[in-house]
Amino acid sequence: MKQLFDMIFQAEFLSSVIRITAPILFAALGAVIAEKAGLVNMGLEGMMMIAALFGTLTSYWTQSWVVGVLCALIVGVLLSLMVGFFALKLKTDIILAGIAVNMLGSGGTIFLLYMFTGMRGNTGSLVSQNILIPTVNIPLIQDIPILGQILSGHSILTYLAFFFVFLMWMLLYKTPVGLNIRAVGENDHAAESVGINVRRIQYIALAISGALAGLGGAFMSMYYSQGWNSGMVAGRGFIALAARAMGQGEPVGTMLSSLLFGLAQALRTKVSALQGVSSYLVSVIPYVATVLGLVIYAIATMRRVKKTRRARSVPAAAEEKK
Amino acid sequence: MKDKRLLVFEMVRGAAAILLALCVATIFIFLCSDEPFTALRYLLVGPIVKDSGGFNTASFYTILAAMIPTIFTGLATCVMFSAGQFNLAAEGNVMAGGFIAALCGIYIKMNTGLHAVVCVLIAAVICGLIMLIPALLKVKLGASEMVTSLMLNYIIMYVVLHFLNYNFADRSKGSTQTFPFQSTAQIPALVPGGSKLSWGFVVALVFVALVALFMYRTRWGYAIRMIGINKSFSEYSGMKVGGVIVLSQVIGGILAGLGGSIEVLGRFNTFLWKELPGYGWTGVTIAILAKNNPIFVPLAAFFIAYLNKGCMLMATYSDVPSEMIDIIQAAIFLFFAAEQFLAGYRQKIVVRNTQADLAKLETVKEGEA
Repeated sequence: MKQLFDMIFQAEFLSSVIRITAPILFAALGAVIAEKAGLVNMGLEGMMMIAALFGTLTSYWTQSWVVGVLCALIVGVLLSLMVGFFALKLKTDIILAGIAVNMLGSGGTIFLLYMFTGMRGNTGSLVSQNILIPTVNIPLIQDIPILGQILSGHSILTYLAFFFVFLMWMLLYKTPVGLNIRAVGENDHAAESVGINVRRIQYIALAISGALAGLGGAFMSMYYSQGWNSGMVAGRGFIALAARAMGQGEPVGTMLSSLLFGLAQALRTKVSALQGVSSYLVSVIPYVATVLGLVIYAIATMRRVKKTRRARSVPAAAEEKK
Repeated sequence: MKDKRLLVFEMVRGAAAILLALCVATIFIFLCSDEPFTALRYLLVGPIVKDSGGFNTASFYTILAAMIPTIFTGLATCVMFSAGQFNLAAEGNVMAGGFIAALCGIYIKMNTGLHAVVCVLIAAVICGLIMLIPALLKVKLGASEMVTSLMLNYIIMYVVLHFLNYNFADRSKGSTQTFPFQSTAQIPALVPGGSKLSWGFVVALVFVALVALFMYRTRWGYAIRMIGINKSFSEYSGMKVGGVIVLSQVIGGILAGLGGSIEVLGRFNTFLWKELPGYGWTGVTIAILAKNNPIFVPLAAFFIAYLNKGCMLMATYSDVPSEMIDIIQAAIFLFFAAEQFLAGYRQKIVVRNTQADLAKLETVKEGEA
């Protein structure tokens, strides 16, 4: 146990929490904006997979990580627009459309990789150091002991992920587009009646969601696991959905729950290095944490609802007595 | 008359969706293959036609055998989706069911005949209990069954792998697997040969009939379908919505557990899955193809099994990877579930029907006058 605590209270561990959180956060923010517009983006997992693959491939072809990241982003947008086309225009259930994207993500990517390169299952030899997303040291902060180790030296996308929390909040609550998105999600008929183009707003929300998933995918293949392989995303898209649910659909709350999952995942890596611990049971930690988180959140919401109901019903009852 | 035309339209639309999906597949094959025609031949007719021509019985049996687990997961998904519950844990339950049945097959001693039945039943009951987790969380706490069931899949996988590796592994074998089942626990083959077509296939068909009867001829089945169509209406008309939602998911769990246990006891003689077998997701595709109607599940399962076999052959005898199946499935998914796909044409049929009705009404009126 002491061994474990020594490991956890180290700058390097906290730094790894941030690194592991970033891709979940990207996808979770994607879930946030889609859900704010009243849509479930079930396909985050598949979008991350496909974007990750194209990110690696294009960065290899152009030998530039910037092009790779942009391409991953564009692929994410295209996929989410495809989901939008089927779900909004052709009225496929959006959850099923998302599952279809996930299928493309799990098997289709292997197929595409083979089609483009003749390689099977992973891009191992294509990746070299210069096409990975570079890390950045923040001046001043990096000189602070401990804190510098934790916060500095991450990849550009890691910082971007946390910056996007702020941007997302700005977008949703401080811009006309955000207002429209929330209006559509709240009640699309009401939104339509005041002249909002509901379809367009939904497409915009989905596109942003896809773009974020694309960045998450790029982070996975071009930084985190340094190359693409078939089991890479490993349910992060699904965990992102859970993180959104637990974060009550708000950007900041979602960031906090994403950090919780990041912590659980980092813990798993640490614990599995210990002697005599089943690596399989440790692997369960993030998923159990997700379910527990959902339960705790649900109980908390129920309590709050009950409280407000009681608060409301007391004056109403008093009124009736008169 | 009216319904018949719309029914024909539904079938045409389904066929069009499948055709479109196959077109997408063809495009991909031409893009990536040096011998596209060989690949296509193996994909489309390979599964049942021998290289020399003639019907390939052995291969046909393997296709039927491959349907066994997917019929069960398809039924499970049908029941849960009918109630409007996007529970995706059939995937995990197949693995759990298979593992539990395997353990019972190894460590319980019983007579031939009874043993396999007991193993399968124990697995099914436990899987039904597992499904209580997402179901109760949904009903009591309002937690999304979709998210919890997805997490549940991973939890089940890792827990099974833990027990497989740390408690029940047969260390004398090169790969990680359990000890072999007792012969009493194995489900006997239906036809001789290596096709792995066991009596489980018959059981699967029996369950198709049972689930169809349940869904369309019982109070509970009606409640399940009604809640899927309009939950608030069901609630106001006095149905116990919460109970029925739990019931639908427990039934889903039981069916998935049956599928997993029958597959493991019928196909293997030891438990050796090291990851989720994927039958749960195939079950979703099958439920979509069957439009949540249990009667059509075997047909849909056959179609998917056929395509799967075709993709395997294609990967073996040409240069197209077998993961093609995922692209085809995704395309079928998108078009088949699209309510507005060919909607203009449907509109025309409705208009024509109404006009015909009006004309008939006119003539009746004229006759009266």
